[in-house]
Amino acid sequence: MTAQTTVLTERRISQFRLFLSYTLHNPPTLVGLIITVLFYTWSIIEGLLQSLGMFLHNPALGWALLPYNPFAVNYRAAFQPPSLTHLFGTDNLGRDLFSEILYGAPTEALISILVVGSAVLIGGLIGMVSGYFGKYVDEAGMRVTDMFLAFPAIILALAVEAAIGRGAINAAIALVVVWWPTYARLFRAETLRVKTQYFIDAAKLSGTRTMRLIFRHIFPNVLTPIVSYATIDLGNVILAYSIISFLGFGVPPPYPEWGRLVSEGFQYFPAPAWWYAIIPGVIITIVVIGLALLGDGISEFITGGTIT
Amino acid sequence: MGLTSFLIRRTINMVITVVGVIFIMFIITHVITPNPAVAWAGPHPVPSIVEAITKEYHLNDPVYVQFYYFMLAVFEGNWGEDPMYHQPIIQLIDVYFPRTLELTIAAMIVIIILGVLTGAIAAVRKNTPTDYTIRTFYLITWSMPPFLVAMLLQLAIAYSLKLLPATGLANPLLPPPKPITGMPTVDALLEGYWPYFWSSLRHLILPATALALVAFGIISRLIRNSMIDIASKPFIRTAIMKGLKERDIVFKHMLRNALIPAITVLALTFASLLAGAVVVEDVFSWTGMGWLLTQALYQQDYPLVMAGTFIVAIGVVISNLAADLLYAIVDPRIKLE
Repeated sequence: MTAQTTVLTERRISQFRLFLSYTLHNPPTLVGLIITVLFYTWSIIEGLLQSLGMFLHNPALGWALLPYNPFAVNYRAAFQPPSLTHLFGTDNLGRDLFSEILYGAPTEALISILVVGSAVLIGGLIGMVSGYFGKYVDEAGMRVTDMFLAFPAIILALAVEAAIGRGAINAAIALVVVWWPTYARLFRAETLRVKTQYFIDAAKLSGTRTMRLIFRHIFPNVLTPIVSYATIDLGNVILAYSIISFLGFGVPPPYPEWGRLVSEGFQYFPAPAWWYAIIPGVIITIVVIGLALLGDGISEFITGGTIT
Repeated sequence: MGLTSFLIRRTINMVITVVGVIFIMFIITHVITPNPAVAWAGPHPVPSIVEAITKEYHLNDPVYVQFYYFMLAVFEGNWGEDPMYHQPIIQLIDVYFPRTLELTIAAMIVIIILGVLTGAIAAVRKNTPTDYTIRTFYLITWSMPPFLVAMLLQLAIAYSLKLLPATGLANPLLPPPKPITGMPTVDALLEGYWPYFWSSLRHLILPATALALVAFGIISRLIRNSMIDIASKPFIRTAIMKGLKERDIVFKHMLRNALIPAITVLALTFASLLAGAVVVEDVFSWTGMGWLLTQALYQQDYPLVMAGTFIVAIGVVISNLAADLLYAIVDPRIKLE
């Protein structure tokens, strides 16, 4: 068992190295990787600082690394265009937009991971069970999936949030409700492909219990094609969440959430401050592009024949 | 399988899906949500009014009784009276939905033109700077939140160049045409009311383009990839050997075959546009269904939210069916299952 695990880990590491060297020859993927790593690393650091600040009742820790306090109101500095002192300009209350955007990053990162992670788990379970058992189980599973797929995602998420209340965690729950069906479809299709292979028959003949078969034998083998989709999907979640937040259903103010920054800035758009609405939107776009490029790269890497 | 039995089977599935959607929405808005009567009673709720509203909408009754009254209102066809607007919900939908439909159809036209054109150009100029520019462009637009696309268009075309108006359905000084279809541009055209037609058309261009820019990349990429795929097929080689003009090969042989998969995706895109209109309508103050829905959500106007979701869900289901049917019509090799 231990020997097997070591072999597996080594294989994964070498795949990861292979991917890195592949990245070096593919500028778009490299750009995607850099954006993604920067975004998530910063979010982890900033998120840890904010939680630590909350835990120690010292919120100033949250902006220890930022050029300005993102909550400090300074009317004299209101509506300053982007410059070297205020990289992204200032908002209506004279707060530094650059600091606000950096401060808001962890929410976006957390929600993207939470939603895609939960959607993979829920959709994976339903999809694999549907695909594996087939017949009536499949029919029932796919009917339920279709039902949720027919929902306009954003509208259902908004309705769920209107019902259970606003906030980041509720938004994540609302998004998971509309996000899992796609994964159920993906996992089902992949399961149907894997199900017919000999190693599944072998596992069945050696008396593996069904649930173990699904999780230990099918799951790892259907995961590879889903990784690239899930990477791109992290960006889709960030986009969807920015819409929710733009429409006023995200974390309540003054927390500087990206989507809400845009909608606040929209009140001062195009004059006196075009940058207030545009720059947070551009930052969202850059992160989403990064994830899309990385996802495409992973997909090309996988289908390029480097992984069997 | 024949077309009739396919249609019957799909219709049954569609009905199940839509009933399921209604049921889920009902649970969300009636079971999970706290009593909205206080919100409906206005900014200074008087207990007697709250009580009257609670009674009128059966808010204190058991859930199954509420479901009965709700389904009754649905089957009567008027969806009940709206607690905020004090008129039958169906009337509201009648006014607002055609506007969204007009916006979506206009966006579809832009998507088809832009998607097919850029996709075909990128395929013909494969791996050249033109190809890279097109691909970079749609990578950026489809990674953009729709409100950013909308605002950039407003900033560039409405505010800087002053070519087109930034917000609204039409010039507010012009009296609107009598509703025939409910779509402002189409109504004005039908009545021959040219000033309004011209004004509403100019107001339509920016929101439709914004909606289209977010979605056209899917079509463009699909057309490009399937045209490149088709280019290596033997019948293209035959066409070249026959000495056909390059233009004819590209348009008559490659593009026409590449359109087949695109049609399915287009039908699905239409559904996503219906829902995606929410944000674009918000930025452009295009008072359509999406705008109405967000207002309803702000005001906890759940009956209207349910009706709106129902309409969009029906749109999605019908587009899915249309996608399958179109696929079988344009490509007779495909069997309906």
